[in-house]
Amino acid sequence: MNKQVQDAYIVAATRTPVGKAPRGMFRNTRPDDMLAHVLKAGLAQCPGMDYKSIDDVIVGCAMPEGEQGMNVARIGLLIAGLPNTVSGMTINRFCSSGVQAVALAADRIRLGESDVMIAAGTESMSMVPLGGNNPSFSPAMFENNENVAIGYGMGITAEKVATQWSVTREQQDMFAAESHRRALHAADSGEFKDEITPYNIVDHAPDLAARDIAIKSRSVASDEGPRRDTSPEGLAKLRSVFAVKGSVTAGNSSQMSDGAAAVVLMSESAMKRYGLSPLGRFVGYAVAGVPPEIMGIGPVKAIPKVLQQIGLRLDDMDWIELNEAFAAQSLAVIKDLGLDPAKVNPLGGAIALGHPLGATGAVRTATLMHGLRRRKKKYGMVTMCIGTGMGAAGVFESL
Amino acid sequence: MSEISRFVVRKAGVLGAGVMGAQIAAHLANANVEVLLFELPAKEGNPNGNVLKAIDNLRKFEPSPLATRSKADHICPANYDHDLAQLKDCDLVIEAISERMDWKADLYKKVAPFLGENVIFASNTSGLSINKLSESFPAQLRKRFCGVHFFNPPRYMHLVELIACNETDPAILDDLEKFLVTTLGKGVIRAKDTPNFIANRVGVFSMLATVHHAQQFGLGFDVVDALTGALIGRPKSATFRTADVVGLDTFAHVVKTMTDTLPDDPWHPYYGIPAWLKTLIDQGALGQKTKRGIYQKVGRDIQVLDASTGAYRPSTGAADDAVVEILKNKNTAERFAQLHASNHPQARFLWAIFRDTFHYCSTHLASIAASARDVDMAIRWGFGWDQGPFEIWQAAGWGQVAQWTSDEINAGKTMSAVALPPWVSAAGRSGVHGPLGSYSPVTNTDIARSTLAVYKRQLFPDRLLGEPVQYGHTIFETDAVRCWHTGDDIAIVSFKSKMHAIGGDVLDGVLQAIDEAERNYAALVIWQTEPPFSIGANLKQTPVGGGERPKKSATGKWFSQIRRSAEASILKTARGVDGILGTQCAGALMEGKLAPIERMVEQFQHTTQQLRYSITPTVAAVDGFAFGGGCEFIMHCDRAVATLESYMGLVEVGVGLLPAGGGCKEFVLRAVQEAKGGNAFPFLRRYFEAIATAQVARSAEHARELGYLRSSDRVVMHRFELLSVAKAEARALAEAGYRPPLRARNIPVLGRSAIATITAYMVNMLEGGYISEHDYLIGRKIADVMCGGDVECGSLVDEQWLLDLERRHFMELLATQKTQDRIEQMLQTGKPLRN
Repeated sequence: MNKQVQDAYIVAATRTPVGKAPRGMFRNTRPDDMLAHVLKAGLAQCPGMDYKSIDDVIVGCAMPEGEQGMNVARIGLLIAGLPNTVSGMTINRFCSSGVQAVALAADRIRLGESDVMIAAGTESMSMVPLGGNNPSFSPAMFENNENVAIGYGMGITAEKVATQWSVTREQQDMFAAESHRRALHAADSGEFKDEITPYNIVDHAPDLAARDIAIKSRSVASDEGPRRDTSPEGLAKLRSVFAVKGSVTAGNSSQMSDGAAAVVLMSESAMKRYGLSPLGRFVGYAVAGVPPEIMGIGPVKAIPKVLQQIGLRLDDMDWIELNEAFAAQSLAVIKDLGLDPAKVNPLGGAIALGHPLGATGAVRTATLMHGLRRRKKKYGMVTMCIGTGMGAAGVFESL
Repeated sequence: MSEISRFVVRKAGVLGAGVMGAQIAAHLANANVEVLLFELPAKEGNPNGNVLKAIDNLRKFEPSPLATRSKADHICPANYDHDLAQLKDCDLVIEAISERMDWKADLYKKVAPFLGENVIFASNTSGLSINKLSESFPAQLRKRFCGVHFFNPPRYMHLVELIACNETDPAILDDLEKFLVTTLGKGVIRAKDTPNFIANRVGVFSMLATVHHAQQFGLGFDVVDALTGALIGRPKSATFRTADVVGLDTFAHVVKTMTDTLPDDPWHPYYGIPAWLKTLIDQGALGQKTKRGIYQKVGRDIQVLDASTGAYRPSTGAADDAVVEILKNKNTAERFAQLHASNHPQARFLWAIFRDTFHYCSTHLASIAASARDVDMAIRWGFGWDQGPFEIWQAAGWGQVAQWTSDEINAGKTMSAVALPPWVSAAGRSGVHGPLGSYSPVTNTDIARSTLAVYKRQLFPDRLLGEPVQYGHTIFETDAVRCWHTGDDIAIVSFKSKMHAIGGDVLDGVLQAIDEAERNYAALVIWQTEPPFSIGANLKQTPVGGGERPKKSATGKWFSQIRRSAEASILKTARGVDGILGTQCAGALMEGKLAPIERMVEQFQHTTQQLRYSITPTVAAVDGFAFGGGCEFIMHCDRAVATLESYMGLVEVGVGLLPAGGGCKEFVLRAVQEAKGGNAFPFLRRYFEAIATAQVARSAEHARELGYLRSSDRVVMHRFELLSVAKAEARALAEAGYRPPLRARNIPVLGRSAIATITAYMVNMLEGGYISEHDYLIGRKIADVMCGGDVECGSLVDEQWLLDLERRHFMELLATQKTQDRIEQMLQTGKPLRN
């Protein structure tokens, strides 16, 4: 059963606050700069370690082109000032990219090939929109009907899930309002302080009146997404945006966002060498495919798969970070698997906190690791649905 | 530096960012005039807060005061506390603050020290005395002071009244008139300094007369509106709906000006507002702006106030068939005779309002206007009537109507007992408009049109009843087109078809005109004697009245009408199909004989290609609607010259077809050119959307943004200057040694992957229920044409390749049952079918 030679431990996990895209606080902040920021911040939490010992930096990014193209992992780590002997690779599994990076990094350690790894995620949806700058689809998609759904927008798939799992508009709006409520409560109680490293935004703008370049900087430390004026009644007034008679609105979908996160992983021997203590242990990770037209249901396949792998039960999970791509699919997953709503996204989810695609997995890993520790819980999970029809689930143990 | 000998407006200032001021500033920006918009400073925050809000609101107005949204960025915000120094750079300052003499006086004192010495300072008052206002203006500047009265909404209403005070230097009025006409595209009427000037004086009286007689005859407001709208050649909003749109408080204010300032007017007893109207105003029911007035909308139902009960009831009133029958009579004299003779209360009501308006206009003509022409034009341009009151009277038979009116004055039936002025019944008088000009009771002569140089730019100005018009000399004429010239070497071709539909015969005519121009003329201009440029409709399939709206809208009516017409364009395009394909099409279609139709499409493509590649330059002079094939004509001419109020679009999808006269091809060429060797997809995608969603441009500037017009095309502000500018453009092209462009070869197309990418976009529209299966099919076919077919990306094709794709897919769509159903429903019901 046990295939690994050693455990992989999370010794640091941090993230930027998450900004709204495309007109939020990070609209002019590059994803490679955000990445460099979290790499530096994560390593700063590992005093005494030798940066040369980092074996590889694996970075998740869902639209790796433009400002986050050209292997943003390597560029980001060099900007961060890591030794040029440290390598980097960018990986992409859309919305699970961030937690996928954590799993890949953990696996290098678990296999015994590495002792120090960094996993990260970065995404600027302000700069590289969903679908990329120049989307291009294969004619083969439309040559047989089976594959047409590859071309579906995520919103259409959410509508299909809502229909198939009988999730009503009211339920979605209630869920969305609750996400905002929880997120605001968490932010107000300082629950995100441990995981966020404030970001100093520097903005270069022409000052036309002064005929000069105005350089303004400000430090941001909290997520931009949660709204205090959200209510089920307010949400009910929004129009569906993906289908004429649909139930999915901008208000009960995840927000478009900018952000980055980094997770430092080590073997036990490396931790000992540098005198570091772990936040937690990586337990397992699984992905699974589902029909593209109901991509949102992905976790329903991935969660049992990872639990089976690691020999734990759903009841063992104390905390589930379920990425709220849409209230519709979140509710369908909760309903289908019988998840305990109290354990799902106790600090709010992507509807309020935002969803910087490829970064989300790493962002929510940081939330989970610090959250489990604060609340003295044991097992937690980061799970999400993935475009074109997949689900991912990673399990962590707090130490 | 010597004094500037020519008046130019490099920059203008508008004082007051209320509804009118902001919209006037918007229209200045529409005309590419730098403009400063002043408002009171905000009490807190940014001192320009108030004016910025007003500018922002311009983007939300319907009808849009802005030719394109970005025009608002060109209005410079300013406030009276900080920015008055900037006024010295303004060559024209228009004051448009609230109609309070004391406030205006204070403002004048405040700004006067900052004005440049060559400024023209004009008040946009709607009725205050210009001479009184001038007293608040420093004496040494008074010669540069006048009134300039725009009508709401100023972008769309053609009329501007220009009013001098006693000291106004006549030269500045001429300068300002030139600016208002050519730069802002307005119709200028010189008005005397009498209360409410000309248009509001007569127009508001007509409304008061309507209110009075409606009550006398016991007619509901909805019935009155049914009678006093399109049936008698006035805007569809007629009387009471117009009042709602204008604002009942504004209407009451204009009436009050007349109450206060015209104590000796024989109609003074009627210068007041009825009790029911006062009640509405007191309740804050001011019309459209408060969502309740004489009418209100409850859910989907329109309700109208019942003055007798003070409650609203469903608005269902209609004109009686017998009266409609009378009004349908095209002979004005017979129509009036029948109205006069009828005992039907609706007919008697109509006669009464006409009679009292005639009575009023003739009584006041001497005091308010220089000639009868000014009254008629003011009412046409300011109130949207097809004909002014004197024109109607003249057409109805001057002497007869004067006799009836006189008899009824004597019988005490009229609103005022004052006798008609003697000139009305002078021996031999058959009207007020004639070949020599229009009558002035003051000089007792016929006054000719203005001889200002600016009017030489109007080769064929808006003409009045009785004014002869001869459009140049015929080169050749067929049943469908007339080719002519104005005594020089530029050939002009004008369509004779209704709504300037393009049928096979028009294509033949255009080809013949091109041939004629190539052999004997320097250039060819396509110009219509009246809008639209071309609706693509076939005369025979156009139901009675259905095609009349575009003409009105282009003369400056509410944009809602324009929009309705634009929506209805799909309908006309349906008929346009018939127009394009010739009258035999419908029959051929149903019999499944498509070959003649395909030949017609080929001929269409041949014609547009000829427009592009003929050896003489071709210029499209565009005003009003240009849809489908009409738009394709424009896209293929060497140059388009379009009035601001031109509304273009390739709207074929509405009837299940795609542009097959070179429209798709032309957009492909433009996308490739704009990409300049880079990725053409983003450019092509925008053009795809324009066609697939039948986008209709809301101005010529907007047409440029959408890509129907090119950056080299010209926008003209005044529709009656269109031909003159188009000819100048044609001449410039010819004199520059014109050669047609080389035929496009090696056009890189985006091919099969791009088709798939566009298809993915449409799959989502289909799944979301935004488009039907048939829309999806049409979209795929448009994508196929615009991407060059199922070939690899970057494949090189020629124009014929794209034209063949257009034609093939057009024919394939035409052969589908659903497209045929769409066309048939359009032809039969006039409503688009979504299938």
